[in-house]
Amino acid sequence: MQEPSPVIYIVDDDEGVRNSVRFLLKSVGLTARTFASAREFLDSHQPGQPGCVVLDVRMPAMSGLELQEQLNLRGAVIPVIFITGHGDIPMAVEAMQHGAFDFLQKPFRDQDLIDRIQRALDRDTRNRSALAQHDRIRARFESLTPREREVLTLMTRGKPNKVMAAELGVSQRTVEIHRARVMEKTGASSLAQLVRMALDLESHDAAR
Amino acid sequence: MLIYDELDMKSDPQPEPGPALGVPAVLHGRLLHVSRMATIGEMAAGVAHELNQPLTAIANYAQACSRLLARPGADPAVLQQALTEITTQAARAADIIRRLRALASRQQSERAPADVNALVREMIDLVESDARLHGVNVSLELADGLPPVLVDAGQIQHVILNFVRNSLEALASRSGGGGRLAIRTWRPSAVDVEVAVIDNGPGLTSEAISRVFDPFFSTKESGTGMGLAISNTIARTHGGSVGYRPNQPSGACFYILLPAAA
Repeated sequence: MQEPSPVIYIVDDDEGVRNSVRFLLKSVGLTARTFASAREFLDSHQPGQPGCVVLDVRMPAMSGLELQEQLNLRGAVIPVIFITGHGDIPMAVEAMQHGAFDFLQKPFRDQDLIDRIQRALDRDTRNRSALAQHDRIRARFESLTPREREVLTLMTRGKPNKVMAAELGVSQRTVEIHRARVMEKTGASSLAQLVRMALDLESHDAAR
Repeated sequence: MLIYDELDMKSDPQPEPGPALGVPAVLHGRLLHVSRMATIGEMAAGVAHELNQPLTAIANYAQACSRLLARPGADPAVLQQALTEITTQAARAADIIRRLRALASRQQSERAPADVNALVREMIDLVESDARLHGVNVSLELADGLPPVLVDAGQIQHVILNFVRNSLEALASRSGGGGRLAIRTWRPSAVDVEVAVIDNGPGLTSEAISRVFDPFFSTKESGTGMGLAISNTIARTHGGSVGYRPNQPSGACFYILLPAAA
């Protein structure tokens, strides 16, 4: 499936600044949308749309930092580049600590902004493909029957077929059939890969 | 951004009344200079922030034009659009500088004996309409028989309004309404008159208390951190002071203390 092309979301309460950034991005062939407030952006945010956010730190009502927090709470993966005014460096540092992707001080060189956006879009692509990969693996693991899951657990613990057969109270032949089904359903090419997939899934679930 | 509203309401610092007894004239002059520098520093920071916006926009449009021109077949209509925007943003920057000049050349403000109660009553309409918008109930507790103060009325009203605005914003975070604000005048000593703005909001944290009058300090994400710093400067040029104390049982109390006119 073809991914939709990325959109750069510009959130800045200063109309002159946000329109100029959009114009600049358009001149290098990037698609940008502008928002006058953090709320306006959040209300129309579609998590499935790839892209990145270019965000002014200082805004009335909801600040850039609060918006970042809202995105974090929603589990959004979209990278955020903060634009700070003169003397806002401590705020930028705080933004970075809250998971901002990068920051830039006004006024900035066009190439600096474009480079950062490019890196943010690359990150976004990687984040999304990692997520998609996890979802695929999860779907495969979820297709296992309860008995196959028991076998999977014992396999990842490195138990030989003979021990498994004894623990499950079935014949070795039955264990072999279950093993084959587990490998087939998960798409793992080796026991090592199967273990890695199971661990990935586990650590990902723990992080969610 | 609101910085300009604040700057516009502020005039140049006044010469202080004569040096206090026992303070050498040289030291007095130096202190006065320090307080003026504080004002200039605050103004400069505000102007820098304001000018940054149109400059950023101008730089973006100009750089985009360079990119467009570097490619064959640039659309003149698109370039024209960017140039129009550059002109608009340059005019905006010029306007900021014009206002700054006007401020710098402004005549020294007039000081006259004034009754603080009259100053408060003059602005009550403004305060009440603002409070209504925030769903806050306002009351006045004005003491009788206060001595006059020698002040620039507009500047002192600016300070009081600043306190009021801060309180209203603090009360806005109160859920379920019930916000109350009082303006109280009284005479804490024979030589001072105090105007206090009291609310039943959340009050300040101890960290905020120690820094609340510093330039750029703000508990509001959108705040410029200038309002109370400017209030502080105004009070000092009047030979007075501004301060904060917690209200009992809860809430904030900001006050300005002014010397009674002899």
